[in-house]
Order: sequence, then C-alpha cells, then structure tokens
Amino acid sequence: MRGFELVTAKDSRHAVALLAQHSASAKVRVIAGGTDLMADLHFSSHIPDVVVDISRAEDLKNIAITEEGLSIGALVTHTQIMRSPLIRDMFPALVDAAHTIGAVQTRNLGTLGGNLVTGVPSMDSGPTLVALEAVVSIAGPAGRRQVPLAEFWLGPRKTVLKPDELLAEIIIPKQNLNKPTHFLKFGLRKGQALALVNVASSFRVDWGKNVFVAPRIALGAVAPKVIRALKAEAFLEGRTVTPEIMAEAGQVAVGDAKPISDFRASAEYRKDLVAVLTKRTLEGAYELAKAKR
Amino acid sequence: MVTVTINVNGEKRTASVPPETSLLRMLRDSLNLTGAKLGCDVGDCGACTVIVDGKPVNSCLMLAAQADGRTVLTIEGLATADRLHPIQKAFENYGALQCGFCGPGVLMSAKALLDENPNPSVPEIRDALGGNLCRCTGYSKMIEAIQVAARAMRGEPAAKTA
Amino acid sequence: MDKKPDVAEKATPLETLQETDRILTVPALAPLVTYPLEVLVPEARQQTPAVGQRATRQDGRLHGLGQTKYIDDWYFPGMLFAKIKRAGVASARIKSIDTKEAEAMPGVVAVITGKDIPCNSFGPSLKDQPVLADTRVFHAGDGVAAVAAVTEQIAAEALDKIKVEYEVLTPVLDPLESLKLETPGVHAPNANIYGHKVIKKGDVEKAFAESYQVFEGTFRTQMVEHVPLEPHATIAMWDANGRVSIYSTLGRITMGRADVARTLGIPMSRIRMIATIVGGNFGGKNEITTEPALALLSKKTGRPVKCTFTRPEEFYASTTRHPLIMDYKTGVTKEGKILGRKIRLVLDGGAYCSWSETTLAKACILSTGPYNIENLYAEAFVVYTNKTMTGAMRGFGVPQVCFAHESHMDDIATALNIDPLDIRLLNAFEEGSLSPTSQKLQSVVVKESLLQAAQRFGWNTNGNGKGNGAKS
Repeated sequence: MRGFELVTAKDSRHAVALLAQHSASAKVRVIAGGTDLMADLHFSSHIPDVVVDISRAEDLKNIAITEEGLSIGALVTHTQIMRSPLIRDMFPALVDAAHTIGAVQTRNLGTLGGNLVTGVPSMDSGPTLVALEAVVSIAGPAGRRQVPLAEFWLGPRKTVLKPDELLAEIIIPKQNLNKPTHFLKFGLRKGQALALVNVASSFRVDWGKNVFVAPRIALGAVAPKVIRALKAEAFLEGRTVTPEIMAEAGQVAVGDAKPISDFRASAEYRKDLVAVLTKRTLEGAYELAKAKR
Repeated sequence: MVTVTINVNGEKRTASVPPETSLLRMLRDSLNLTGAKLGCDVGDCGACTVIVDGKPVNSCLMLAAQADGRTVLTIEGLATADRLHPIQKAFENYGALQCGFCGPGVLMSAKALLDENPNPSVPEIRDALGGNLCRCTGYSKMIEAIQVAARAMRGEPAAKTA
Repeated sequence: MDKKPDVAEKATPLETLQETDRILTVPALAPLVTYPLEVLVPEARQQTPAVGQRATRQDGRLHGLGQTKYIDDWYFPGMLFAKIKRAGVASARIKSIDTKEAEAMPGVVAVITGKDIPCNSFGPSLKDQPVLADTRVFHAGDGVAAVAAVTEQIAAEALDKIKVEYEVLTPVLDPLESLKLETPGVHAPNANIYGHKVIKKGDVEKAFAESYQVFEGTFRTQMVEHVPLEPHATIAMWDANGRVSIYSTLGRITMGRADVARTLGIPMSRIRMIATIVGGNFGGKNEITTEPALALLSKKTGRPVKCTFTRPEEFYASTTRHPLIMDYKTGVTKEGKILGRKIRLVLDGGAYCSWSETTLAKACILSTGPYNIENLYAEAFVVYTNKTMTGAMRGFGVPQVCFAHESHMDDIATALNIDPLDIRLLNAFEEGSLSPTSQKLQSVVVKESLLQAAQRFGWNTNGNGKGNGAKS
C-alpha cells in the first residue's frame, strides 16, 4: 500500500480539529476499525495524503439511554452491540443484524459508525436503524448537528458528511424505545456474505383492536440507499394484524423496491426476496410484540 | 515512520515502521513472527488472525500504529517450553490441519472462543471459525479437535478414544 | 530510530544508499519463540506392529506451532521485493514499453521486460506461454514487466510508472466462437483449436436409429480458481559459481527446473529448485510463474529477490479450471438401457495451453460416465480464448463431465419415469467391462457401492420405480 501521513485523535473533539486542519489542503480519510478502509486502500490507486485514526476516541464508544433515546457511539463495534445487555433486551434486531456482518474477526474491529459511513446500500446495520427512525449526530467544528439516518445517505458510498465532520452518535428516539423490531438478511452464504436483500420491520400493536400502529419497514440492497417501504407502511397502518395481511404487505413492499440485477442475483429474484423477508420480519416483530406484552 | 510498541506473547517489542504498515506486516517483517500469514490482505480469509487485547482480529486490517500499547497474542505465544497448548495438541492428534497455512489463524480463533466459552456447541464453533477459510480440510476434524481441547481445558476426562 | 529514511535520488552518495539499505533491510533477529523441546526417542529393540496404529502427520507439530516455514516466511539479508505489471487488457499488440521513469524511482533497483528473457516461451506441453509478454498480450493477467525494489510498496508504485502502449485487439472470449474456424486465430497463425481427441466405438447413428428414444442435453461449467490459502511465492538468488537457487511454491520442481533452464538458456546443472511445505496447490501451482523473471532480476541486482502474488493475481494471473461446454446425445431402450451415446466437448483453453492436453484427454475418455456403452462417439476440442490460462485442477476435466453425464442420466430417468438409481444399476460397469478406450476394467464395484449407499441413505424404491429425490 502506498504511504500516507497518520495522525491519531485523542477524542472526538480532537478528531474534528484534525479533520478541519487537514481536509482544507489534503485528501483525508478516517480510520476506525479499518475493515472497510484497509481493504479499500490495499488495492486502490486513490491513496489519501492523511489518515486520521479515531480508534482511540473513547468518548465515541458508549451505549446509554439519554433523554433523547438510546444513544450508540459511532465507534461501538458490532461485537459490542451483540453483547450489550441494553441492546439485547431492547432491540434484539440490532443484535441479529450485527451478527450477520462478516465474521468474528471483522465484527471485533468493525464499528457501527463505519458501517453507516461506508454507505453501501446492502449494509446490514442500516435497515433496523432506519425502521426505528434513528437520527445521527454529526460532530463538526461548529458543534453537533442532527440528521435523520434515512437522509444521511445521498447514494451508494455517499453521505452528507462534510470533509471536516465526523459521525459521532446514532440515536434511536425515545418514542421508539422497546418497539418490537425484526431483521432478516439473505446472503449467498451464512457468513462473510453481502446481503442480496435485507429487511427490518418495526411496529406496535393496538391490542384492543388488534391493528398495526406506526408500522415501519426498511429495505436494504434494493435501491441506491436503504429506503423505507412507504407503500407497504401505508397499507399496514390501522389494518388488522393477520398472517394474510402481513403476506400482502410483503407484496406491496415489492413496489417500493428498485433492485438491480448483478452477478449475485437478478432484480426479479431480489423482488421475490423483498416479499418474503418483509412478511417474515413482520411475523417476527409480531412474535416479539406478543412476548413483550 | 511511526514507532510502535506492543506487548507480544508476553514480551515488549518495538519497531519503527512506515505509517501505512499493517499489524500483520509489522509482526512478519519487523518482528520475525511469521506465524500469522498473508492470505488475502483484505480481511476475508482470516489467515492473519491474531488476538489483540483478548479479541481475535484480522491483523491485515489493523494499522500497526493502532496496536501501539496493546497486548498481542500470536500463534508463537500459545505453546511454552514445556508443553503445547491443549488446542495445538488436539489439532495434532486429530490431524486437523493439512497444508497448515490456515492453521495459525484457526488456532487463534479457537483459543479466543474457548477463552470465552469453555463448552461451545458445534454451531458456536462454526460461528467462531466463520472468518477462517480453509481450502484443504472441510473443517470437520478442526471442530472435533476443538471439542476435545475444550474438554481437556475443563479438566474432564476424554469422552472416548477417537 | 526516529529519522525518516532517506530513500533518495540516484545522485546520492553510496554511503547514504547503503545506510538506507541498512535501515530497510530486515534485521536478522533470532525468533522470540519458545517451543517444546520434547524429542521422541523410540524404545530400542522394540517391535511394534505398525498397521492399526494411529499415525500423526509429520508436519502436524510444526503447523500447530506456527513454525512451518512457507516460502513467504523466508527472508534473506539484502532481499529485494518484486512485483509484476499485468497487462489489464485481454488482447493487444505491445507497441512500446517505457521503463525509464520506474527505473529512476528511488528504491527501485531493476526493471525487466519480455525482451530481457533469453528464450521467452515455456509450457508443460506446447511452449506457448511467455515469461513476460513481449510483443503480444493474450490475456489480461499477462505480465509485461517485472520490478525489483527495496520494499514491496515501492515495487508496487513503480508498476504505475511503467508506460505501456497497447494496440488493443478484439479479444475472443466465447469458446464456441473460437471453435469456428473463421474466427481470427488467438495465437495466429496457429489455429484456435489446439487439441482434439476422438473416441469411436461401434456405430452410434445406427444405435440412435434403433433406440426407443433419443435424449439431448447441453451442460456448461464455469471457470474455477483453486484459491489455495497460500498465494504463489518465489525467491531467487545466485551464488558466485553462477548457480541460481530458486525457492518456490511450485509443485513440479523437476519440470520447473527444465523450464527455467530453457527460458534462461542455462544448463540445468546451474539451477537449484527448492520447494517446501506448500500452502495448498490443488493443481494451481503445477507450473512456473515468476521464477525465470525473478532469476533475471536477481542476476541483474546481485541480490535475492522475492515475489508473492496478491490474492487478485491468484484469480487472473494463475491457472484455473477449464470451463466446459458439453453436448450429450443418448439413445436408450424403453427400460433405460443405453444403446449409444454421442458427446461433443469444447474446453475453454484460455490464453495458453498449460495442462490442457491432459485435461482434454481425461475429460474425453471419462465423458461417457461409468456405463457400458457399445456405440460411442466422443469428440473433444480445446480452443484458445483471450481469458485466464486454464490448467490443472483436481480432476483434470472429470468433475466437469461428471456433472454433465450424471445430470443427463437424471434427465433421462425423469423423462422415462424410471428410478434414477435403477437406470444407473442397469447401465453401470461391472467386473470385466470395457472402458470407452477398450481397457478391461478390474476391481469394479460400482453397483455394489451404489446399493450400499442406497441402503445407508435410506433410498426407497417402490413398485413403480420412482425413488426419493427423483426431482430434488
């Protein structure tokens, strides 16, 4: 790999200062776990001039309930998500999603923030957070700003981050704490596989009328970024919770998806997967709702 | 150049390396610890797996500088002058390795697993080895050997002579 | 050390260069490794029966300790690192190669191209493969230049500085297109078809005429890469007696030695090939790759030179398994007995012959499957295409034809409503059966194995002949 200058940030504030300092005059990239960046750099001809190592910023590694909701630091690794008692209790879907990423070694290094910032449409951490209407907190020289996660991505591998900004925190809003959510991924292998399609469904149940309340469905790998299946959500809102309705919602969700054909799968196969995974994640979320009732 | 100091296999070692050097290259080229292997350099094959601060990682994905001040355990640190580690002994007895190239990585993943989970099920072993590719063996003897080693490490007698 | 090494321009004094060299050379450290020094000494004069004893692999101990030294684990003082510039274009004429900028790079010690190779062709049978492409590129993985530098990183950067001017030609990528004689020869003026085999027995057309039904099917298999965990690696160095020592992951070292002798134009007695435990071969390390180029770089620089393939290079610059296009035509009786079979195989033979002739032969001979067939016509072609070299890989063509003849058999069984096991038992070889090439077969246990397997799998055949899994 070609050479670059390496600067190490002590904490998130220092990281932002380093980004601001260097990005004005040089090509800068950020390294956290390195699982995306190092693989990228090994065979790339676009080597940055400066790499800012943020892996030592301890203030970005917390998982806590705050007044805003559940806050997950950008440097929390996938392994840490899988093991956090708080996340295991409140959002098993996040644990499931983290578990489908790569392998043990990559999960020990890879961070939630990194997965979101790399921004491939098939990212496994995206759908659950989008279904839970997560918000990201971005740190810059002027302080923090918040952006809904669904609007964080502009397209494949493109985010709204400016060169002197850092993704600091991911917040699941207070009103969605403990909301029953289920995530499923379909890949060509059980491990170390990219998702052909991944889906997360999240809803509450009005037990009196047995209807869907605030259904949210997020689809990954079937559009230039993770998207909400708005037609399917509108179809479900206020409808009775039955297996048939869930299956039909799956069919409606196909209309929300815009998959491409590539060497992994055809667009048609992906549409099939959208229908099935939507139905199954709705069923899974319902099981969770019943268990938590 | 960056100066990197790591506690590797119980000893403090220092090397001066270009900033873009991965932990893998530093271990192999500067510290003569060639146990960890270069199989793909992009974190897919797991042949470079070492244990950093108790967690198995792809050393090809970690900058050497990121390992500064950390504790690293490589395959060379498993055995002592008196004995093989139980996992190494079990692998040897069961013929779990053929060409051996994936071996160091698999052994480190296995050690990390057993350090945390002294009685893993077969699915748990498979999950732990999911990041270690092997083209020769089909993994079945590795899984057996890990179970045997786990039993030995728990102090239980062998289930039956295999 | 805290000062940046001064990898400087060529005008720098020798002392500075030597200092740079000293800093970048790997120090000869003693390994900080403790390991069990248990030495197993068998008891004297003790007779032990060997058969039935557990045997441990001899390399098991070293593998488990991480002490097995593969080629990439060897470091020699003063060793340089080499990288190969790959063409990146499937078919082209090389108009010019300019290496001046690369040679002037600080840290680059030598650059060679195809012109520097004394005899630029080799191969297990046809000598159609160059060490480094000289005038023509036949596949994207063709090496066009080799660089030796003080670090691997500098060597990789130097590749970008080598300017190659290509006249891009239309590549031939489809083996069926290549088969048509009108397609311009990939290795013109030589024909695209570089191997041909026919096995003929009885009268297949007559057999078809007498058949209850004739079935046809076309089957294709894909190009497969061996993916040994250990990438190809080679180290070359010379001694003052003019002998080169080559450490390599190469499997066939005597053949490799002959190839190096041929390409370098030196007697075999001047070449030492040293192979060691290899990290997986599966056929992919059966011929030389960078050995002659490294030998020349080592000679030019006066230092040991090492080259390891990157993982991507393993895919596009090393041999792969032949894709096959297989046309099967089989005439059967109503009960499913094969009366005649006609087969055409087209092997995608890639850019160079490599082990295609062996693969062609085995694929053709075994294409019929383990079945008694009186009337047979099997014809196999291997053709050049401008794709990655296809060579040896576990099975040499047999896995491909096996997929075809077994799938074909299942198709016939389904169509005739016959149990897939029964149709095989009806046709399978037995003791004394003749192979397609009229070899009398001995120790034949096909039917016994099938029946035992059927019993163990719980294969259940009921009265009307349909078994489990007929349509799975």
